[in-house]
Amino acid sequence: MRIRSLAAVSCAVSTALLTAACGSSSSSSAATGGASGGTRTLTVWMMDGDLSTQATNAINTAFEKATGARVKVQIQEWANINTRISTALAQDNPPDVLEIGNTDVPLFAATGALADITAQRSDLSAGQTWLPGLVGPATVDGKVFAAPLFAGNRAVIYNKTVWAKAGITAPPASFAEFTQDLNKIKANDTAPGFSAMNLPGRYWYAALQFVWDAGGQLATKDAGGKWTGQLESPAAQQGLTAWKSFQNTYSSVASRNTDNKTPDQAAMFAQGKTATLVDTSINTILKDNPSLQGRLGTFAFPSVATAGATQPVFLGGSDLAVAAKSPNQQLAQAYLKAATSQTVQTSAIVGTDHWTPVSTQLLDSTQSLLPPTSAAFFDAAKNSVGTPATPGWATIESDLSINQFFADIATGRKSVAQAAKDFDAHLDQALNAAS
Amino acid sequence: MTPFGASGRPTLRRVPLNAAAALFCLLWIFPVYWMVNTAFKPYGDILSPAPQFLPFPLSFANFADAIGKPGFLTDLRNSLVVTAAVVVLAVVVAFFAAVALTRLRFAGRRTFLIAVLVVQMVPLPALVIPVFLSLKSAHLLDNLLALVLTYAAIVLPFTIWTLRGFLHGIPVELEEAAMVDGAGRMTITRRILLPLVMPGVIATSVFAFITAWNDYLFANVLMKDQAHETLPVWLVSFSTATGTDYGGLIAASTLSALPVIVFFMLIQRRLVAGMTAGAVKD
Amino acid sequence: MATTTESHTAPPAPTGAAARPPRRARRPRRHGHALPYLLLLPATAVLALVLGYPLVRLVIISFQDYGLRALFTGVITWAGLANYQAVWQDPQLLPVLARTGAFCAALVAGTLVIGLLVALMMARLGPRMRTAVTLCLITSWAMPPVAATLVWQWLFQPVYGVVNWLLTQTGLFGDLTQHDWTTSALSAFAIVWLLVVWQSVPFVALTLYAGLSQIPRSYYEAAAIDGAGAWTVFRVITLPFLRPILVLVTILSVIWDFNIFTQIWILTQGGPGGGTTTLGIWSFTKAFSGNSFGQGAAIAVVSVLLLLVLTLYYVRRLVRSGEDL
Repeated sequence: MRIRSLAAVSCAVSTALLTAACGSSSSSSAATGGASGGTRTLTVWMMDGDLSTQATNAINTAFEKATGARVKVQIQEWANINTRISTALAQDNPPDVLEIGNTDVPLFAATGALADITAQRSDLSAGQTWLPGLVGPATVDGKVFAAPLFAGNRAVIYNKTVWAKAGITAPPASFAEFTQDLNKIKANDTAPGFSAMNLPGRYWYAALQFVWDAGGQLATKDAGGKWTGQLESPAAQQGLTAWKSFQNTYSSVASRNTDNKTPDQAAMFAQGKTATLVDTSINTILKDNPSLQGRLGTFAFPSVATAGATQPVFLGGSDLAVAAKSPNQQLAQAYLKAATSQTVQTSAIVGTDHWTPVSTQLLDSTQSLLPPTSAAFFDAAKNSVGTPATPGWATIESDLSINQFFADIATGRKSVAQAAKDFDAHLDQALNAAS
Repeated sequence: MTPFGASGRPTLRRVPLNAAAALFCLLWIFPVYWMVNTAFKPYGDILSPAPQFLPFPLSFANFADAIGKPGFLTDLRNSLVVTAAVVVLAVVVAFFAAVALTRLRFAGRRTFLIAVLVVQMVPLPALVIPVFLSLKSAHLLDNLLALVLTYAAIVLPFTIWTLRGFLHGIPVELEEAAMVDGAGRMTITRRILLPLVMPGVIATSVFAFITAWNDYLFANVLMKDQAHETLPVWLVSFSTATGTDYGGLIAASTLSALPVIVFFMLIQRRLVAGMTAGAVKD
Repeated sequence: MATTTESHTAPPAPTGAAARPPRRARRPRRHGHALPYLLLLPATAVLALVLGYPLVRLVIISFQDYGLRALFTGVITWAGLANYQAVWQDPQLLPVLARTGAFCAALVAGTLVIGLLVALMMARLGPRMRTAVTLCLITSWAMPPVAATLVWQWLFQPVYGVVNWLLTQTGLFGDLTQHDWTTSALSAFAIVWLLVVWQSVPFVALTLYAGLSQIPRSYYEAAAIDGAGAWTVFRVITLPFLRPILVLVTILSVIWDFNIFTQIWILTQGGPGGGTTTLGIWSFTKAFSGNSFGQGAAIAVVSVLLLLVLTLYYVRRLVRSGEDL
């Protein structure tokens, strides 16, 4: 009977599958255990687009010189990164060191995924004062779970040539001057598809500056540790209204519901579709259009409320953490030490990449090394704010509710008061959720 | 040729019909045409409010940009290996199951069929964590075999149902007649069953191919080491925190769609022929 | 995010069998021993390891307080019915259910109607035009969903999207260059609908066309002699013959469209204001944004049960029709 021979083959397939499964499992466990003899290799996960290859290499060289071990760097993509980090950290052989965005750190610090480095803190910081926006989110109940790697924040970037055509030769010193300048540019160039400023409605980092500038806050924590959304407060609503009016006046109608990546705002700027942006660095623009070298100006976003002051900025950046399940704890700590050392911070983080360094002392000592276009970012960084340091914050970023919230206001789908009320309710729920 | 007998003056009648067909073709091919058109544009022309309908002069900058992105070759190889393995595994395994389901009677046959259909109803994103946990228990994480098994399982319900349908369409009498004529079992399988079931095998392998080739959800979570990444994961790398490389992304999408379209084109004659093969009238 | 099976990237169904008019029943041979089970073993093994066991785990997780801490430490606390209660009491539940149902219905209806029309058109076309239509169908079918969705985003982009430009050129709707389709829930759904239908029609059209071509010509000739009109011919001859394939295609469409995920997530992320959040998106955000895998699992279990209830009648019919042949 023919079918019987088929059954035999079928049996063989099942057996083959089983053996393959078992065989591979034993080989993979052997591979992970094999790190003990000879040169040890540390696996490090870095994020795409953050540190340049040269800067990462500088850290690796310092680490390899200090320990004699090797480093294997794997670049990770931002899309769904928390899911990827979560599942990687849940495995028995996780990456040893991971770069984690500072707003995401609480998610992993508070849930037992990261190694406690409180005991090493003084050794790592070597007398420096780490920026609170970077180390704060990594601190849970007084214990530290990550060391800062670099900070980044936003400033205004403008095209000097286009601004000069409208008769403006110096950066504005106040918000009033800024809007006057933008009015001139708007009147000077009415080509379709051109906007004086591009400030997308979903670009919440920039929008939050207006809230903080008006004295508002995202959320506050009471003595019992409970978070409450504060966007309904009069100050926050005033900031939101100011942002809406600014956004609607100077950015295109099409930008009210988009974010900074669709369409890519650096590319828009590089191709002359807009003359002014709020962004973290000029690197992408120069990569897109090298001929703009020398034609870019930067300044910290002027305060709407206080003349002469600048808006508080969102302090972004990344921390380096050690996986709790990593078998190479000491080597991993040595890597953190190499990355936070003053030499590497000065030469690589500031010198090569122009990012903001991790301590207030470095902020002062490195300022002279910077090109003029980077100075504005450092100015802005001196007045910076972080997001609520709680695991629930990651929910707000990953369900994109904060992007929706600002787009709701910019497009007029909801009134400022209604949007604030709805979003406060979501904040109350998400920030207090246990993970 | 038309199965609809009433055809008075075919040429005249067909004018509006052909116009409708042409319009349909235009509409349906437009997104693909636009993707290819965009991919060949020089960088500065992509963000242009007035679209250009022809990509001339052709620019390969976006493709160079896409291929130059690290990991392309490794990920391409992984994708090819995984996809090939899934197609073979799924079709062979489903064929066995389909033979049992159509040629033998046994207890639990209906239950098996229904269970297989129900499994298909689970939203895949919800299965990511449970599949991750199961493969972790089986020590299969970070191993291409995990992807092969996962995709094979995802396509099996459809594959089994489809092959079962095709086998149903082949009269048992044919095999019995061949047996009477003294043909051996291998001869029957090779000469009679296989050619007849071939369209089904092609149809199901297409399904398996597309599923395995395109999955990002599981590939992102089950493969930790970069050496085991597949193309869809690579595709995502064009969008970073600092910006989206649209030209590169569209070119990379074109590259990733290419093997599937080529595969379809190669077999399309047999695919459509296979679908109409059953038209032999009784 | 991306997977493929939510979209209709499936090849033609077993038309060879389904389309054939019922005829003499065939008795499969009965075997009392292990043979059939041996043949089913590999399929069962793969399905059990990668879908069956995880499915059981999914149900278990839906009764647990399963978050990141549980994932990292393996320490799990039971939640009883808390996850289901949370879903039940969520004010989002009803709108999400209604939205999922309505959207699924709109997708299935659109796919089937357009697919049937295209199939009928193909049956009447000359060989050259038919090949052209087939090639267009196959190309859109072969497009990976992620790539297709990115292209869609590109087509409908404000300012730079070619669709807005074309619509503006027609002069019928005024200046649409600044229009953002994802600003309102209805137009956001409309572009998702277009995308999903664009990708699903090929499967349905080619399958139905294969079915159409199997209807014996003599039936139509007889109808022509009787002087039956086109609609009567369609109702009395075409439709009854196509019914088994239509049932299969409908059931698959319902399953796929109910769980549609990638296209919505990339194009709208469930917005604006949750206006395009379907069950799949809801379960995903609960699990992966809220890091409550328990609640995500509970929503998934609920949606499978719903889908089962919705399709039960047809599933039974489908299985029985197969057995009868």
